[in-house]
Amino acid sequence: MTVVQLDRIGKSYGGFKAVEEFDLTIHDGEFLVLLGPSGCGKSTTLRMIAGLESISTGLLSIGGAPMNDVEPKDRGVAMVFQNYALYPHKSVYDNMAMALKLQKMPKAEIQKRVGDTAEMLGLTDYLARKPAALSGGQRQRVAIGRAIVRTPKVFLFDEPLSNLDAKLRVKMRMELQELHDRLGVTSVYVTHDQIEAMTLADRIVIMNGGVVAQVGSPREVYDTPADEFVAGFIGSPSMNFIDLRRNGDDGWTSVEGHLALPPLSFDTGQRADLRLGVRPEHIEILDPGADDGIGMTFDAKVLLAELLGADALLNLDVDGIRLLARVSGTEHPVAGDRLRIRFHEAQLHAFDCESGRALERGVPTLVS
Amino acid sequence: MNKRPRIGLYTLVALSVVISFLPIVWLILTSLKNTAGIYAWPPQYWPDPFTFDNYVKIVTESPELLLYVLNSFIVALGCTLLTLTIGGLAGYALSRIKMRWGAVLMVFILAVSMFPPVSLLPSLFQNFLKLGLLNTYSGLIIAHAGLFLPFTVWMLASYFRTLPPEIEEAARMDGMGLMRIFLTIVIPLSWPGFVATGLIVFIFSWNEFPLALVLMTQNAMRTAPVGISLYPGEYAFPWETISTATVIAIIPILVITAIFQKQIVGGLTAGAGK
Ligand SMILES: Nc1ncnc2c1ncn2[C@@H]1O[C@H](COP(=O)(O)OP(=O)(O)O)[C@@H](O)[C@H]1O
Ligand SMILES: [Mg+2]
Repeated sequence: MTVVQLDRIGKSYGGFKAVEEFDLTIHDGEFLVLLGPSGCGKSTTLRMIAGLESISTGLLSIGGAPMNDVEPKDRGVAMVFQNYALYPHKSVYDNMAMALKLQKMPKAEIQKRVGDTAEMLGLTDYLARKPAALSGGQRQRVAIGRAIVRTPKVFLFDEPLSNLDAKLRVKMRMELQELHDRLGVTSVYVTHDQIEAMTLADRIVIMNGGVVAQVGSPREVYDTPADEFVAGFIGSPSMNFIDLRRNGDDGWTSVEGHLALPPLSFDTGQRADLRLGVRPEHIEILDPGADDGIGMTFDAKVLLAELLGADALLNLDVDGIRLLARVSGTEHPVAGDRLRIRFHEAQLHAFDCESGRALERGVPTLVS
Repeated sequence: MNKRPRIGLYTLVALSVVISFLPIVWLILTSLKNTAGIYAWPPQYWPDPFTFDNYVKIVTESPELLLYVLNSFIVALGCTLLTLTIGGLAGYALSRIKMRWGAVLMVFILAVSMFPPVSLLPSLFQNFLKLGLLNTYSGLIIAHAGLFLPFTVWMLASYFRTLPPEIEEAARMDGMGLMRIFLTIVIPLSWPGFVATGLIVFIFSWNEFPLALVLMTQNAMRTAPVGISLYPGEYAFPWETISTATVIAIIPILVITAIFQKQIVGGLTAGAGK
């Protein structure tokens, strides 16, 4: 059982707080992803777990044992770096065998372990080569193999796929997934790529400016983002945001343009304004004549249509507001078309304008 | 495309090659002339008669030249090894340990080397006299190492900074200690830096004059530049002897440079990262 426990862990560089204190329990066998934009403190958090960075405040324990002052090699963790960090002057075999050699493991056992791992990763034919003679994907496999042979209790990955081209990245992502299913080792994975996070993670920790914004399953962070940042960060293309002001009838009117909405089923309290969020894929395009008047329907004009392949993106003008909608790529509307669109209340999100916190769903609060 | 900058570049390169090689070519030509040829007016461009007499004469009549060259070699080699060892360790520490005053320290180290070596001579001489280091190889090696260490620390520290720190972090996670990382990872990866710096230090030490002159007073301990410059002439300055001896004295440097220059060019970090 390897549970990794972060107890009020935080990191400061001088006066600068790179990571604000937070709690987190990473469960045995869990694949946890740290997600966030560049500079938000993901690597710092991972490196504190690895022991490459000192822990400013809080307590780290791995498998129940306190780890704050334990050397990296004795933490039972193995790390895969973004730029692979292979020993360029050593063969693939020596790269993978290094940790075991340093542990003074018998040679026969090292050979067996490296051999088995190489087999699993399809590296058997390359064991004698130097890293320079490998492709990017193969190098990353060696880096992963170097981590696997040590049979660590925890795997740490720092953006392991960012240096690969798009196609290879998808392939390696799937391989990583299979590997995790097979080995079941507790893993912490850092990325700024939300697709990687959504596909790999059991749970995602979303960070923003050193602060943990939300911890939850991919489903949870997508369906019920805790704040505006998470809402905008998860999902591609990003969620549309519309600033609304309460009107005399307890309905809402957009600050820009003249979009009018009925009372919304959020716990708005006495708020006079809020920010509405609607995902591009949640804007329904109604077939001509299909408008039954149910729900929130609006007139829209297509300003620009971009075909992505399976999908198309529509730039819409809806009552003076610009909205992005994502529709099926077959026979999609084109620029200049006039449409009828619909929002589904259950797919809307509302946020506090100042704090950005998501508003709970509830009964509409009537003021007038 | 605009080609003019390249032409300018080539011209500059050609010019600097000519300027730096002309004296050496003239030196070699001089060593192949006889005395009359050297003082001839108008000057002889091609030796006439073309003669190897000077070489024969110097080897047969002044065997101490070979001793000077050997002394230079021992001192330069010792100085290079000592400088690379200390400079490597210091440079590694300065490039990797985050120190509050790290940058100031680096500038300070460089500032030390701005004193002209001659200004160090009186106190160096006195102290070496007390310590019994005059006329010893280790004495001049230490003096030269002190002279060239700042340069070495700077060269190596900046080379180490170009290595991706993740390789060393991976080594730490694999279970290596600092010294092992330095010896088995950092040195092999910085080999071109070590060779380039070592060559320069070797040549500096080989050519260094004031300290070698003052700290090595016995004829048998003199280094090549000092020994050659002190060749006695009877009525005139013995140009033919000096130029011949100088040609002989630069041969070891040419050989060493030729051996190591391939290593400078070939970088070893290829394949470390993306
Ligand atoms: N050694 C350091 N000294 C000072 N600031 C640092 C150091 N390392 C990282 N930082 C800062 O900490 C923040 C988080 O960095 P990092 O964890 O690397 O972000 P990322 O989420 O992109 O991995 C950044 O603002 C970065 O500039
Ligand atoms: Mg990072």
